[in-house]
Amino acid sequence: MTQNFYHVLISLALVAVALGISWYEKIRVEKDIAIGTLRAFIQLVAIGYALEFIFDLNKLWLILLTILVMVMAGAHTAGSRTKTLVPGVRISAFSIGVGTFFTLGSMLILGIITIDPKYVIPLGGMIIGNSMNASALALERIDSEVKNKKAEIEQALALGATACQALSRSYKITVRASMIPTLNLMKVVGLVQLPGAMTGMILAGASPLSAVLIQIIVIYMLISAVTITAVITTRIAQRGYFTKAHQLVERMV
Amino acid sequence: MGEIKLKLERITKRRLIRQNEDMEEITVLKDISVEIKPKEVFAVVGPSGSGKSTLLRLLNRLEDLSDGSIFLDGQNIKDMDVIALRRKVALVFQVPILFDGTVERNILFSLKIREEPNLEGVAEKYINLVGLKRNLLSRNSNELSVGQKQRISIARALTSEPEVLLMDEPTSALDPTATHNIESLILDLKSKIGLTIVFVTHDIEQAKRVGERGMVLVNGEKIEEGEIPYLLENPQNSITQEFIKGILT
Repeated sequence: MTQNFYHVLISLALVAVALGISWYEKIRVEKDIAIGTLRAFIQLVAIGYALEFIFDLNKLWLILLTILVMVMAGAHTAGSRTKTLVPGVRISAFSIGVGTFFTLGSMLILGIITIDPKYVIPLGGMIIGNSMNASALALERIDSEVKNKKAEIEQALALGATACQALSRSYKITVRASMIPTLNLMKVVGLVQLPGAMTGMILAGASPLSAVLIQIIVIYMLISAVTITAVITTRIAQRGYFTKAHQLVERMV
Repeated sequence: MGEIKLKLERITKRRLIRQNEDMEEITVLKDISVEIKPKEVFAVVGPSGSGKSTLLRLLNRLEDLSDGSIFLDGQNIKDMDVIALRRKVALVFQVPILFDGTVERNILFSLKIREEPNLEGVAEKYINLVGLKRNLLSRNSNELSVGQKQRISIARALTSEPEVLLMDEPTSALDPTATHNIESLILDLKSKIGLTIVFVTHDIEQAKRVGERGMVLVNGEKIEEGEIPYLLENPQNSITQEFIKGILT
């Protein structure tokens, strides 16, 4: 079955259910639901047309530009979410960018995918979405680690540890914490939830088995990108809390 | 130069603090000059908030000076490798902070981070030096009393064989017995390993018991300096007299 705008219109009835519940229960999220409904519609229709255009044109520069724009949007969301001492947006942009381009590049080199926008862009989107979460979690966690363990960190510094050594435990905790959503996904995939790529393919009529193969590749690809992003974000961010003389920056003292 | 271990030359420390929404600059230490001789126990005495702890942090370069210079054996500490400096000038904090894990892991911390190959017998040597039994080595650090923790933190600072030991109110968190033990340990360390010790205290009696020379610090300024107990028994300056009488706390 092929969906059209008529089906979209009918599905608004479900939004009305949510609105009704919110109104009846006085949760007061009617405005958020209304704005969210409209926003989702506009954004998705716009991206639908944009993707049609990109797929039709099928130019490498346009694919790369699209991925770059997605990386920047992800970085902005990840980096501006937390009020930290470090330039979060720039750190996220770099780490998400490296994670994304490395993973996509490897998949191209290994011949898993071809340079075709219908592979590169949706897979890139999944990578960037997951890396964005990892980067945001890493920025937030390293900030709270340094703030909460200031005394312990200074004690290690006073004993002649480098900034990196003084923060080594917090570094591991941060990377691990920012990878948890992806690690959890790997544990429950197929058991608790059928992830997006697989669901999409099955809905589009692909056989469950070929959908599964793509999904396995997606999972492997995500763990690579998320690990790279988490490590780079944490490594760069942690430097922002110290001076070159292995001191906590003055605002932390 | 041999006669001076640490020389503080007109040091000033300013710091930005947040006042409501604005950042305001305050002067924590003002134009302090003092010379500390090798192997002496030098007391920095003063009421709370007088900048005593900041002074120690500057000597260990946990923070940097705003103006002035500090020399260790005639060398400006700013020109030294900061890690090497911190191994020569060790700092023991007011509240002992031990890392997770065993007492042994804590004592060997600074040796392990620089990957010293031969650590046999080292932990035993230092736990003995601070007067604790070696069977504590395998205990988890969070099972110790505060007094024991402070001794372990002193042992941990000593393993890198520092030349100067900075102690920031090392007994303020301790009961009278543990305080007495730490004071005896300070005197012991001076006589056994010839350490130069700079210790900070707001307790005049403690300064008299442990210090040989010292200075009085109030509101970031050096009020006077001299031999102990003379300095604290015959203060020349009215601010020192007020502090000793307990008017300034």
